[in-house]
Amino acid sequence: MASRSSTLARPVAFRSVGRSILLTLPIALWSLLMFTPSFQHAGRDTHIGAVVVMLFMTGLFFLMMRTGETYRWRRIFFVALGFLFPFGFIAALVAERGTMSIPISRMVSGDTPFCFMVTPGIILPAAFAHTIIFPGSILPTASNPHSIAIMIGLWFALTLVLGKAWCSYACFFGGIEEGFAAIAKRRRLHRFIVRFGPRLRLVPWAILVFVVLGSAALFEPVYCMWLCPFKAVTEFPAVRNVETAIQMGIFVALFVGLVVVLPFLTKKRTQCGFFCPFGAFQSLFNKIHLFEIRFNREKCVDCTLCQTSCPTVALSAESIREGKTLLNCMKCGACVDACKKDAAVWHLKGTPVAVKPERARLLFLYGAWAMATMFGGSILANSVATMLHWLPWK
Amino acid sequence: MAALSLSASAGEALVLGLATGPVCLASCGPVVLPWMLVQPQGMRLHTRQLFLFLAARLAGYLVFATAVWLVGSSIPHAWTGRSWLFGGIEVLLAAGLVAYAAGWPRRRSTPAQPSSRLVQIGEAPRPLLSGALALGFLTGINLCPPFLVAGIRAAQLPHLSASLLFFLFFFAGTAVWFLPFLSLGFVRRTPAVVTVARMVAVLLACWYMFSGVSILIERAIYG
Repeated sequence: MASRSSTLARPVAFRSVGRSILLTLPIALWSLLMFTPSFQHAGRDTHIGAVVVMLFMTGLFFLMMRTGETYRWRRIFFVALGFLFPFGFIAALVAERGTMSIPISRMVSGDTPFCFMVTPGIILPAAFAHTIIFPGSILPTASNPHSIAIMIGLWFALTLVLGKAWCSYACFFGGIEEGFAAIAKRRRLHRFIVRFGPRLRLVPWAILVFVVLGSAALFEPVYCMWLCPFKAVTEFPAVRNVETAIQMGIFVALFVGLVVVLPFLTKKRTQCGFFCPFGAFQSLFNKIHLFEIRFNREKCVDCTLCQTSCPTVALSAESIREGKTLLNCMKCGACVDACKKDAAVWHLKGTPVAVKPERARLLFLYGAWAMATMFGGSILANSVATMLHWLPWK
Repeated sequence: MAALSLSASAGEALVLGLATGPVCLASCGPVVLPWMLVQPQGMRLHTRQLFLFLAARLAGYLVFATAVWLVGSSIPHAWTGRSWLFGGIEVLLAAGLVAYAAGWPRRRSTPAQPSSRLVQIGEAPRPLLSGALALGFLTGINLCPPFLVAGIRAAQLPHLSASLLFFLFFFAGTAVWFLPFLSLGFVRRTPAVVTVARMVAVLLACWYMFSGVSILIERAIYG
């Protein structure tokens, strides 16, 4: 393995092509395994979608191996997931019911797709009243394959593997704001982030507590009904009175403010870092997750490049001095890639810090990318197939 | 015979309170949790605060018991959540929570308090006994489903004293469910915990304000 340059964040070629291919082989095989079922279905669009995404995911992993960079290649996948998920989802809604709004009959019959974001809010009502407050089906039905049991099972499995890294490898919402954050060339409102960031990053915890308590008190999924910015690009309760009009107004305002405008201005994932209660909930799993980012204090020169590059303000001067990230680190790899002194390193808990960090990165990435391929990859393949289906000349 | 009827009624109220306690907890818990977390750490303090809160809540119950008994055997529809009174209570609850989040009012004799800004990271303000009483009383008279059930039953009792006794035992049944809140006394008060508690209080205040104002507007429009 070639040594890293001391002047560049990463040398252009980190590994040889042959070695990179060899390291990519397990992911290539995994992709093949994941997308093989797609070929059992009829439809050329589905087949093409599966092949394209299989090559896309394997190719990105190869580039991660070849260049030693994580953030840049992960971001390409993640932004694609963020923008293509609503596309495929909305297309499916429009094809099925002709509108993005949820008819009241669907809500009454509990026939709406379950989203993992509601998970923290349903815990207390389920514990006290043995009732799932979300209007969905526990087990899959013909009209609603995204059942509550499947989504919670999937979320739990992914969380065991990824911890808080769920937020940067699996969440199909985070990619939208990461995309808008990537558009702007200049970082604006930097002083605002530096000054208020330490307080703002506590807001998701407050919203988490509010959502959990509110859901128990009102016996309804408070986050879904009132606070989810992504309702604006997925599905929402049909506007039929003042209350639902207010709800819709909140969804749109939160989406425009936190997912479009602020990420564009600050180059940060403002919704993820300063609002998302599910992200705060996921942070708890960082306590038990095996992988983390650590800082080698012998190499660190306190240049704050890592702090500036962190998309969710998960680093503070104190945490860097202690050689750690904050609890809300989502392991996107931005700080490791930004560090010119190789002081920021991937670390497997229980092993010495900064000893064979690349091995820790590899172990983490195999798990994370395998999950990304399984979960996000299938969403991407579906969206690509939908796009192909809608091509004008077809 | 009367004593037997009274004890049966008390037993019924106690069981009703115990059985519906989780709903009371879900209804009042959102107020109690952030309010207690804003207080400094310590079991003795929390015990005193919680008992003051519960005492004020009991006072609210007894006021309600008197009112429903005076009104008669049926509770008018206007009482069940659409009354300006309950809208007003929710607005007052919102004001109380905001006051707590802001660390106001403070004792004049207290030396060097931290800033009262809502998201101030710093020491928690000193406990305010009046806050426990105010929030306890307001949650005590705020309608929740078990409270309404108890009210309907209490209104059917023959004497005011029986109605009061019914609510006393109903309160005792529900109060048991509040005891786990004492464990908050053990939670370490880092600046982050206090700040999050204040933010939660503000969010809840926004919710109560929205709910209260909605009720008042509806009342003003539809009568």
